[in-house]
Amino acid sequence: MATQRGFALPPTPDYRIEIAEIEWELSSKKKIRTAAYSGQIPGRVLQLTEGKPVAIEIVNRLDRPEIVHWHGQWIPPNVDGAVEEGSPMIPAGSSTLIEFTPRPAGLHWYHTHAMANHDLKRGLYTGQAGVLYVAPRLNPGAYDPQQFDQEQFIVLQDWQPFYTASDDGSLMVDYTAASINGRMLGHSEPIRVRLGERVLLQVLNASATLPHWLVLPGHRFQVLALDGAAVPTQAAVDTLRIGLAERITALVTMNQPGVWVLGEAHKDYRDRGMGIVVEYSGQSGKPQESRSGTPRLEKLTWDYCAFGDAVPQSHTPDVTIPLIFTSRFRGHGALDQWMINGKSFPDGSPILLHQGQRHRLVFENRSVDDHPIHLHRHKFELVSVAGKRTSGVNKDVVMVEAGKTVEADLVANNPGDTLFHCHQQDHMDSGFMALFRYA
Amino acid sequence: MLDRLSRLDCLQNQRSAVFKAFASIVAIFALCAFAVAARAQGNYEIQVYGSDTVPPRTTMLELHSNFTANGQRYYIDGQAPTYHAQHETVEITQGINNWSEVGFYIFTSEQSGLGAQWVGDHIRPRVRVPESWRWPVGVSLSTEIGYQRALFSNDTWTWEIRPIIDKASGRWYWAINPAFERTWHGPDVDLGIGFSPAAKISYDFTKQISGGFEYYADYGSITNIASLHDQQQELFPVIDLNVSPKWEINFGVGIGPTAATDHWIVKGIIGRRFDWPKKNN
Repeated sequence: MATQRGFALPPTPDYRIEIAEIEWELSSKKKIRTAAYSGQIPGRVLQLTEGKPVAIEIVNRLDRPEIVHWHGQWIPPNVDGAVEEGSPMIPAGSSTLIEFTPRPAGLHWYHTHAMANHDLKRGLYTGQAGVLYVAPRLNPGAYDPQQFDQEQFIVLQDWQPFYTASDDGSLMVDYTAASINGRMLGHSEPIRVRLGERVLLQVLNASATLPHWLVLPGHRFQVLALDGAAVPTQAAVDTLRIGLAERITALVTMNQPGVWVLGEAHKDYRDRGMGIVVEYSGQSGKPQESRSGTPRLEKLTWDYCAFGDAVPQSHTPDVTIPLIFTSRFRGHGALDQWMINGKSFPDGSPILLHQGQRHRLVFENRSVDDHPIHLHRHKFELVSVAGKRTSGVNKDVVMVEAGKTVEADLVANNPGDTLFHCHQQDHMDSGFMALFRYA
Repeated sequence: MLDRLSRLDCLQNQRSAVFKAFASIVAIFALCAFAVAARAQGNYEIQVYGSDTVPPRTTMLELHSNFTANGQRYYIDGQAPTYHAQHETVEITQGINNWSEVGFYIFTSEQSGLGAQWVGDHIRPRVRVPESWRWPVGVSLSTEIGYQRALFSNDTWTWEIRPIIDKASGRWYWAINPAFERTWHGPDVDLGIGFSPAAKISYDFTKQISGGFEYYADYGSITNIASLHDQQQELFPVIDLNVSPKWEINFGVGIGPTAATDHWIVKGIIGRRFDWPKKNN
């Protein structure tokens, strides 16, 4: 069930989100002014229950229309939070009441889906993002509470964006500051742990344009879920790569006493602030950013297939849909124009889906950039990544690396217009979107 | 991804520190301007500067090759002619941080009767306004100090200060370099500060090919602008090839319409960038 405003007797909201400009201290020396949810960065964690309807009031106190997208939720297009699907914008200075029934369970998020249109003070360049955690109703054992001793939500964000020339000759966005949970490294309370404790990390990359790599020196991450969906193989890795809008649920066993930095693998990003201190009980001293054994930058790798079925299963698709990503140069002083199958949104016709059928989506990235490809209101199952077969990895965002092809199966089971796009804000703004429409 | 990471180092420094250093350097340059004097690279390094600086842990190696097809044919006050002179200049620029660099030049000349000759050397520190300040235009400030042998320039010690302003907008790019020069040793010491502006406008035909015009001039002393006859004026239709982030290629043919200008110059720049990444995270 999902409704927009217009009830004769609207229900009492379970949550209220106020969108407004705030001044936020990333550190004692760095303040920013940006739009945020309910006066904090990131927005408060919304804890919902799978299958239990929720009503959320959204108040827009900005001087421009806004819209909130419930990323990862299988909800109808009129409340999903994308105007391209038919969700209405929330006019400046007004409010709306959104009702939907959360599903699926897992780690998701809510964020603005307004176009920035090259304005670096809008869209995901602002602080409009927060964690949406949907607890499983019937099967709370998806992440067995017995498996962990404490749970930490980790939200990665980049701040103070500016345009700069990229090495490939096109304009790109870069940043001067970064944060975890709204604070720069060294300016938040540490995550306090005890030896032997198992800490469940719920990690979200809410950056507008940058993928990130997370490392906790000397520790390994046992990956339990990607984009909120449990993975068949809970592989342990030294480093997490989190593409834009991706979520990773990972368990860390605290077995290296000390004071550490859980932060970006790249020092330059840590220096900008992307890190948080992990402090073992009884330990003190300067937080350590690395130790022998920490993977070297040039050896950072990420393989989705490591989390798939040990023996990949095969499915025969009913339909194959090629989706070719290309760009068009528009000058060294302009952002590239992006195209899917040669068309920039809103040009081109919607891509048709057939209810109940298995669609093999073939993401062919012919550009020189990596792209976090997101499908609204559905999940897709990875079939192959750069030629390597897999199965059982269900996601709503996948990083398609430059020059590579990723295949994914989509079973069309949630009728209604569905937006498909690169989650990188400047790419979205430059046409990297398409609409899927049920035939 | 790697493209991004290679630029990350440019972003760490604090704005206040940059501003203080920038202001200090400007002040030092200003003092120098009233202390000393002349012409800098002449047609050894013919380039309109952009505001970008070389990133830290990066070295840019450039070769400037300039051939004067039609220029000064005779010795004047002991200074060698430029006619059919082939000038080769090696420029080595090292990025210091995200807002400064230092360049070093080795000037050479090869021409009939003189053979291959070392001409002189210059050093050129440069600071810029970091992009993170989000100024509407790129701004940097360069200064160049150096020596050239009297056989090639009567003014042997010279100094230049060069503000640089540029902007890329869509496919268009423009840059202006209103440079001021002073001679420290040579006949032009008494001329005071000279004005030698340069400017460029270009259009990106493709991602790899840009074409446009570069303009170079020397108006003489700012307190006594030379007559048009005695001014140097040169216009170069140019092509820039952006074939790789590691390579810089520029080619142009200059036309000098005034008597004081070499009438035809063919110039080329080829540059190669070398990155020296940190070994550790």
